[in-house]
Amino acid sequence: MNFGVPKAVGFLPAIRSIFADVLGDDDDPIPEPPAGLPGAVRAVATEAVNRLIDYQGPGYAQLYVARLRRFIGRRNVDDTVFAEIARLLVVRMAYDDAIRMAQLKLAEAEAGQGVPADDVRKLRLDELVSSLPETVADYALWILEYPGWLHLPVTLRFSAASRLGRRRLRIEASLRRWRLSSLRYARERAWVERWLHMIDRSLTKQPAAVAAVVATAEMVRGHGDDYARSLSDWNLIIDQLVKPTLEGALSCPDLAGGITEARAAANLDPRQDTLKRVIARIRERAGAGA
Amino acid sequence: MDTSHLAEHVGTVGSLAASVFIVATYTMRTMIPLRVFGMLANLVLMITAIPFHSFLQFGLHAVLFCLNGYRLHQMLQLIRDVKKSVNSDLSMDWLKPFMTERKCEAGEMLFYKNEKAETMFYIVSGRYRLVESGIELPVGAIVGELGMLSPTNERTQSLECIEGGTVLSVSYRQVEQLYVQNPEFGFYFLRLASARLFQNIGKLEERLAERQAPAVATPKLA
Repeated sequence: MNFGVPKAVGFLPAIRSIFADVLGDDDDPIPEPPAGLPGAVRAVATEAVNRLIDYQGPGYAQLYVARLRRFIGRRNVDDTVFAEIARLLVVRMAYDDAIRMAQLKLAEAEAGQGVPADDVRKLRLDELVSSLPETVADYALWILEYPGWLHLPVTLRFSAASRLGRRRLRIEASLRRWRLSSLRYARERAWVERWLHMIDRSLTKQPAAVAAVVATAEMVRGHGDDYARSLSDWNLIIDQLVKPTLEGALSCPDLAGGITEARAAANLDPRQDTLKRVIARIRERAGAGA
Repeated sequence: MDTSHLAEHVGTVGSLAASVFIVATYTMRTMIPLRVFGMLANLVLMITAIPFHSFLQFGLHAVLFCLNGYRLHQMLQLIRDVKKSVNSDLSMDWLKPFMTERKCEAGEMLFYKNEKAETMFYIVSGRYRLVESGIELPVGAIVGELGMLSPTNERTQSLECIEGGTVLSVSYRQVEQLYVQNPEFGFYFLRLASARLFQNIGKLEERLAERQAPAVATPKLA
C-alpha cells in the first residue's frame, strides 16, 4: 500500500533528519568558487573547496568561499597576493588534529597498495582535550592545569595494517561531525579571523606590507609542541609589531621588512628570547625614526 | 459504607480526562498552550491520585505542575517585557535572563569585521571600541541585534575590548528558539528590531542633514 510517501523518504532518512543536529549532518549544497575570482585564484579555490569538503563538509567549504569573497575587487590585492591568501587560508582551515590524522591515514590505506606503515604522532594533552566540545574541554583543561599536566606529551598511533586498526580509524574519522563544536575549532576560527583582519587592516593602512602579513600564516604549522611554539611566535609578532603599526601606535614605515626580520628570529628558542630581542630592536628603531 | 466503587469511578473518569489533556498537550504547536494543557493534565492526574492514595503519582504531578507553571510564567513575562519595550525605550533588557556572562580582557577581540555573526552582546562593564570607525560603545549598549535578521549575517565592524570588563552574550540560535516557540514573542521581537532599525536610519539622516547644512550655508556666505 502506498500512502503517497516518496520512495526516497524512508524510515532511516526520516530518523536521521530528526536527529540531524545531534548527528552533525551537513547537507549544505556544494559551493562554487565565487564569481569575479582571477584565473590563478580560481584554480587554487576549486582545489581548496574539494579539500574542505573532504575535511569537514560542504558547509565548511562555504565558509571558505565567504572568507575569500571579502577580497574580491579590493584595491591593492593583486592576483599573486590573492592566490596566496586562498592557498594559506585552506591550509589553516584544514588544521591538523587527531581526526584529520585518522582521515589521512584511512585515505592512504584506501588508495595505496599493500599495507601502509603505522603513523606515530606526538601531540600534547591540552591539544587532545581541546578536540572535545567547548563546554567539556574548558572544565577538563581547568582540572588538568591544577597538577600541571596540560603540556604532557601524548603519543598516538594511527594504523591501517589490520581490520581492527582500520575500524578504529573510521570511528576516529567519523568524529569530524562534532569538530565544529570543539574548543580547538573555536580557537582556530579566532586565529584565522585575526589573520584576515590584519590583512584587511594592512590593505587600508600599509598596502606595501600586505604580502608580508599574508605570508605570516606560513609560520603556524604542525601539531604538538611545534604548533604551540609557532602559534605563540605568530601572536608575539602580531601583538608587538603588526597591530601597533596598523593602529598608529608604532611608526614603522617598513612593516614588511620588520616582519621578515622578526620571522627570521622566530622558532629559534622555546622561551622566545631571541624573537623578543629582535622585536624590541625593531620597535626601538621605529621609535627613533618617529 | 463501601466507597471503593466511587473511587474506581473517579479513577476511570480522571484517567479519561487526563488522557484527553495529554493528547491535547502533544498536539499543541506552540509553547504557551502546550504548558497550559500540560498543567491541566497534571492537575487531573493529581486529583485522580488522591482516592487511590497514590502519593508517588501525586508528588510527581505536583512537581511537574509547578515546573510547567514556572516556565509558563517565564514565557508570559518575556512577552510582557518585549511588548513594554516596543512601546517605550526600545531597550533589549528583557533578554538579560537568557544571556551568559563573559569576562573580557583589554586587547581581546569580541568579533571581527566580515565574520559570520552568531551572537549578540550586552555591555555590562569595561570599555569597548568598534575598530574600523573608532566609536566607543557605552555601558548598556547592545551589539549585533540586527545581524540576526540581516541576509548576509556578517559583522560590519570589529569590536575590541580596550579596558577589561564583562559582557552578556546570547546566541542567535537561542533567540530563534524563543521566536519559534512563541509566535507572539516573535511578532513583538520583529516590531522591536524594525523600530531599532528605523531609529538608526533616523540618526543617520540627522547626521547627514548636519553634514549637508554647512555645505548649503557656504554659498550664502560667499
